[in-house]
Amino acid sequence: MKTLFAALALTTALIAPGMALARPVTVTTTLNAYGGNGAYLAFYVTDAQGAYKGSLWMAGGKSKYYEHLSDWYRATGGNTAEINGITGASVGAGRALSITLDLADALFDAGYVLHVDAAVEDMRNSPSEIAVPLTTAGSGQANPGRRYIASLAYGM
Amino acid sequence: MKTTIAVLAATTALGAIIAIPGIAMIRTPDAGSPRTSFSAPADTMQDGTVLLASGDDEDNDEGTNDCDEDEGDDDAGTCAAGPNPAPAGTVAPPANGLFGNGAAPQVQVN
Repeated sequence: MKTLFAALALTTALIAPGMALARPVTVTTTLNAYGGNGAYLAFYVTDAQGAYKGSLWMAGGKSKYYEHLSDWYRATGGNTAEINGITGASVGAGRALSITLDLADALFDAGYVLHVDAAVEDMRNSPSEIAVPLTTAGSGQANPGRRYIASLAYGM
Repeated sequence: MKTTIAVLAATTALGAIIAIPGIAMIRTPDAGSPRTSFSAPADTMQDGTVLLASGDDEDNDEGTNDCDEDEGDDDAGTCAAGPNPAPAGTVAPPANGLFGNGAAPQVQVN
């Protein structure tokens, strides 16, 4: 019996950390009816010191427009390898973009900040339109944007 | 009566012989031109050659690339901005330490 419990404890100890490494997180971004073309949105994370950590999503597939996502572009040099496999279509005015990502647990409650840069053709760029700390307590709370984004919320 | 018909036939034949080469001279340079109805008379010289009404256009096009604002929407990365990124679902997300090794990103627009 003791052997059985020991084996169970051992397997649990081995499996549990792997299960807790990441979790699905849904980021919902609702745009204002700003009356322009589809918005390019760059979702990326900075660490507690404000240094670029990585990108989470790019809404808009044409690299020639990325320079207008100025903070993201400055941090990455426009390197599209940063967003391979995490790029989708631009988002129309008044629409809501919902992205579900398998994110590392280490991103939460560790000083990381989720940024969103926004740009719309023939309209003003909006770097760091939203900058919201990633915390478990902040899950489900709506965060207002400055220009094109009405609100952003992430849920776990 | 026979004389009248003979003269009529002779003048008709003579007119046809004179007219056919002229008609051919006019039509030959314009064959295949999409702008025939608008610009062929002005673009056709007497020796049968065709002038390009806007010959500079082709010269200018040689120096352009797909980065123009109105062109190249479907370009696959020929401009200075670099290649377009791989869309979600076609390759794995980047190994930047932010993602787990689980499910692929899912996106929905309402």
